[in-house]
Amino acid sequence: MGEGDGSPISENFVEVTTKESSELPDSKGNSIKNMLLMDHQIEVEKVRVSTKYDIRGVLNKFEVQKSVYDLFADPIIEFGSANDLLLNSDKIFPVKPHLVVQVGFKPGVTDNSGQAALDGLLTLFPSSKDMKISCSRTYMFWGIPANIDASEIVKKIYNPMIERVGVSDRNACLISDWPELDYPELTTLTEQTLQIIDLEVSDKDLIKISEKGLLALNLIEMKAIQANYRDPIIRLERKKLGLPEKAPTDAELECLAQTWSEHCCHKIFASKIHHVDLETGEDTYIDSLFKTYIMKPTLDIQSDVDWLLSIFHDNSGVIAWNDDWSLCIKAETHNSPSALDPFGGAMTGIVGVNRDILGTGLGARPIANTDVFCFGPPDYSGTIPEGLFHPSRVFRGVHAGVRAGGNESGIPTVNGAIVFDERYLGKPLVYCGTVGIMPRVLLDGRESHDKTPKPGNIIYMVGGKVGSDGIHGATFSSLELTEASPSSAVQIGDPITQKKMIDMVLEARDLGLIQVITDNGAGGLSSSVGELAELTGGAELDLAAVPLKQSGLSKWEILVSESQERMTIGIDPEDCQAFEKLAELHEVEATAVGTFTDSGAFVVRYDEEIVAHLPISFLHDGCPQLQLESEWKPPKHSPIIFPLSNHKLMGEILLRLMARPNVASKEWWVRSYDHEVIAQTVIKPFCGINQDAPGDAAVIAPIQGKTQGAVISNGIVPRYSDIDAYAMAAASIDEALRNAVCVGVDLDLIAGLDNFCWPDPVESVKTPDGRYKLAQLVRANRALDEVCRAYNLPCISGKDSMKNDATLGGEKISVPPTLLFSLIGNHSDVRKAVSSDFKEVGDLIYLVGETHQELGASELAFMLRDESNGKSGIGGQVPKINTSRNLSLYRSLTKAMSKELVSSAHDCSDAGLAAAIAECCFGCDSGVDLDISDLFNADANLDNWGALFGESLGRILVSVNPKNSEMFENSMQGNECNYLGKVIPGDEISITNSKVQILTASMSELKDSWKSTLNGGRN
Amino acid sequence: MIPKVAVLSGFGINCESETMAVFEMAGADASKIHVNRLVNGELNLNDYHIMAIPGGFSFGDHLGSGRLMGNRLRFGLREQVRNFVKSGKPVIGICNGFQVLVKMGLLPGDEDVSLTQTASLALNDSGHYENRWVTLEFDSQSNCIWTKGMTRIRVPVRHGEGKFVTADKKLLDEWSKLGQLVVKYIDPTTEYPSSRDEVLPYPISPNQSWRNIAGVCDPSGLVFGLMPHPEANHSTWLGATWTREDIEHGEGEGMKIFRNAVNYVKKNIVN
Repeated sequence: MGEGDGSPISENFVEVTTKESSELPDSKGNSIKNMLLMDHQIEVEKVRVSTKYDIRGVLNKFEVQKSVYDLFADPIIEFGSANDLLLNSDKIFPVKPHLVVQVGFKPGVTDNSGQAALDGLLTLFPSSKDMKISCSRTYMFWGIPANIDASEIVKKIYNPMIERVGVSDRNACLISDWPELDYPELTTLTEQTLQIIDLEVSDKDLIKISEKGLLALNLIEMKAIQANYRDPIIRLERKKLGLPEKAPTDAELECLAQTWSEHCCHKIFASKIHHVDLETGEDTYIDSLFKTYIMKPTLDIQSDVDWLLSIFHDNSGVIAWNDDWSLCIKAETHNSPSALDPFGGAMTGIVGVNRDILGTGLGARPIANTDVFCFGPPDYSGTIPEGLFHPSRVFRGVHAGVRAGGNESGIPTVNGAIVFDERYLGKPLVYCGTVGIMPRVLLDGRESHDKTPKPGNIIYMVGGKVGSDGIHGATFSSLELTEASPSSAVQIGDPITQKKMIDMVLEARDLGLIQVITDNGAGGLSSSVGELAELTGGAELDLAAVPLKQSGLSKWEILVSESQERMTIGIDPEDCQAFEKLAELHEVEATAVGTFTDSGAFVVRYDEEIVAHLPISFLHDGCPQLQLESEWKPPKHSPIIFPLSNHKLMGEILLRLMARPNVASKEWWVRSYDHEVIAQTVIKPFCGINQDAPGDAAVIAPIQGKTQGAVISNGIVPRYSDIDAYAMAAASIDEALRNAVCVGVDLDLIAGLDNFCWPDPVESVKTPDGRYKLAQLVRANRALDEVCRAYNLPCISGKDSMKNDATLGGEKISVPPTLLFSLIGNHSDVRKAVSSDFKEVGDLIYLVGETHQELGASELAFMLRDESNGKSGIGGQVPKINTSRNLSLYRSLTKAMSKELVSSAHDCSDAGLAAAIAECCFGCDSGVDLDISDLFNADANLDNWGALFGESLGRILVSVNPKNSEMFENSMQGNECNYLGKVIPGDEISITNSKVQILTASMSELKDSWKSTLNGGRN
Repeated sequence: MIPKVAVLSGFGINCESETMAVFEMAGADASKIHVNRLVNGELNLNDYHIMAIPGGFSFGDHLGSGRLMGNRLRFGLREQVRNFVKSGKPVIGICNGFQVLVKMGLLPGDEDVSLTQTASLALNDSGHYENRWVTLEFDSQSNCIWTKGMTRIRVPVRHGEGKFVTADKKLLDEWSKLGQLVVKYIDPTTEYPSSRDEVLPYPISPNQSWRNIAGVCDPSGLVFGLMPHPEANHSTWLGATWTREDIEHGEGEGMKIFRNAVNYVKKNIVN
């Protein structure tokens, strides 16, 4: 072979860009241009994008040249070039750009495009082993406004946490000096030998050990560990095993820190709380919020029903949906990673919760996602603390991450919400939920919701390999966010690796190969194997067998790394061959790494060397209970100052309310989620004549061709926490149920999920108001208990994230106490599902449910506060719940729906009745003529503000075809059901109180206002 | 004999269950076939009567949608695929499956089944992925066996790269003449038929495809692919606005496509 022959370390690259023309724009470039304009008000003339693949490995120049149009570039629509930068071509770029920015990953960051390119290259040249590819992007800018510093643009398009950047400024561009990033070679790690951690030190030094090691263990916990290693029996046993007798190894301490982390074992919810209520004089002790207010009511409900199959102990809760199928649901948060890398953090969140479903029972198929986000205001104009991104960038990044994670996994995103509040600036909340389905009984007769591990089962690690990414995610999320937060806690998901794994795992399940399965999430193998070991009473793990992304990882790092896309699966020895063959077919990594035992200990080896030996009982039950103080004193707020008004001004207030980010249409964002894959989505996120009116709950019919459905809904109202977290929690649950009622849920089969995101509620120097925040948590939990019992709505799974504070630049920002309540329910016949849009001119409109003067912490109150620069307060009565009144009404209404008497139903929540009326009109391109005087009968204190914009719970706006009105009214007897008026042709929304006109507005103007706020793009 | 359908799976294909379901509803026997089972010789395409490449995100759409899967088929299954098409058996690619067929050169294709790429699917002009419902109009003159007797249907699009383009515009005229530009986006407020070449405004045309092309067939009319998802409208209750319509519930507007192919096989292949 002659010139150009590949040497073992040949370096090549291929670069690709769009063949741009008037009929074929560079849409990637246009998206960047659009993002700069919409989010940052920077208007550049033109942006082009190219993608570069740096190739390392045995490949000669000829082969690389051949691969340009066979693999990298599309011969029809792209230019490709091997080993020559496209910017050097006058044909492609006749005018020199004014700024060129190349963005590539840092070493070790997941590079999905690079990985895919490598796979593609191996298809072309199957014999070329040991190749690697790194992908980067080059952005070229023309026409940068004179007042904009180029570095501003650079900052907007790369994230220093995970990416590297190369820049050519105007002068460099003139002389064709283009950026060229080096190949992101992983630096060789130097493996640390196993360390012995001496715990026979002062208390101060114990805390130092915890802080320095990012262990997130407090003094009492450190002392409990210390005590364990003082136990003579333990010491004797360790001596026999050849382990250090008096002190833990680093691997042991890390394993305990993961298992005992707030993230994994929910110490605050398990704590003993001394609760004092200064309002009522109550002084009491609560032994575990979780056991008292979440588990107990669910267990009580379980004794009355036969459909609660698996609750609390597995990765998600499981309910029997019918005789053949069960459903499961889980939601997780991924807040800290999403603050640091919005795209990667959110994507990891969604694919992570998908694995919780896959790891439920013997493996469930994820069939629907829900996404609920809480961000700072997208139009926030205050200063952003160092180390944080502007909320609009967090929003765009989180959205893109969830879009990629959900869409590429083939799981529809069917329902969600986005909430805005300045206090989410420090930590955004990114709730990702997933619903799964599994056959109730497998072919071999085992019930799929029960795991069946036996001592002797072989432990497989399946999916990705282990790297230094994601070390300390569990403990890190149990700490507040600071400038020093480690980038290694951030990972980028790889949905395709995971999709291949899901396909393979579900096939293995159906073949009866799986005995036990769980996800490798927080805490990595340490948690997954450690948890499953509890089922058989022990496990042996060999770290030397674990496939690694890079050499030089320390033993404890292999044990706790949270590298993504991994499951831990137990297989019967006689099934191992079949299991491995299946993995090979699907091109999925599956490696035997240990054995389940009944030895009573979790033993971790590296080859023959024992690196950790932890008694199962100490690992899982040794964490001491926290003792916490809680004190409730109702906060004081100044009252709302209502502006002078008349019917036109009320119309304008509604116009401004519709534009508030919390109320505004999220259509531009939601449309880029696939919400219909699997061909099951019956009630979609949007409805109405133009498919742009907001839906309430999602309805899916997951068995193709069958009409039994499942309802999925969410409730979240963090605003009310400012007055009372009890009201907040009650309202969240009622909102989730109300949404489900709007589509016709079967109230006899509903289950819930509680996801708490709280600021740190533990009193300390950093958190002087910890007692109040804990009292808020106590009150929210009491609401959960009381409301769920009343609605017969068991919580089957849940999660809490308790450190949602950020201290940056010396300033502490805490999120408002937030409960997301998610609901899954049965729908007996999806053909009778109801959507929210008014259907026809002439239909009769009713408001069911009582309206009270409840404007405290309402969206209106916050708007008036913002508009008056804080002069107007948010004080007043926060919506109170009346569960028996609501449930009776919900039962009557769903019964009327099953008789097909209801044409539309829409939840009244943010911004009250007036906003609900407007939204129902959007779906019908029509107006309404309404008289709401009857509402005032229920509450003598009610005024027009409260009637129009109050947020009383338990209310649904309904429309009925005139031919059904009598039967409808009869079926609602015994409940508050007020006839308001009719759907009318035209554009006018007219509301009177008896003869007095109180609100007039143009439907189309309201709609424009509602649609414009969060219109993130050009179209 | 019941027609047997090979529904390909693996590597990020994700619409295989609903694609199998619609063929079953249309009276066929559908099997989920991992691509590697064909590559490693465990199974052979020859044993099936219809091949379907469902939607999804094969290989994450990196390096262009459908590109890597297209290469796996073009290099790994070249002769099996060519023989299948040459033997007169129907093939369909939906969304990502259509992208695969175009990138591997099976669509718009040629008489020789030479597997030469002549068209592509570029990023939507909007620059991003979208899920929305569209109305499609079919060319009644086309010899496409999949679309026989069809006029208009409503179905969702769910893609980021669906803009049909070609390097040589003369090809479009040729394909048009042969009836290969078989399905186009259409303004639902117009009378049937009214498809035209000028690009319709967004979002009637969700991606600004040239000539509003939503799907094409090969010269034989047996190989067909489209960006929208007819399998996602297999039942009336999956429609976008069914709650506003006075309908009798049953089969959805997308089913006809699958019935056409199954009936074709029953009549012409399995007898």
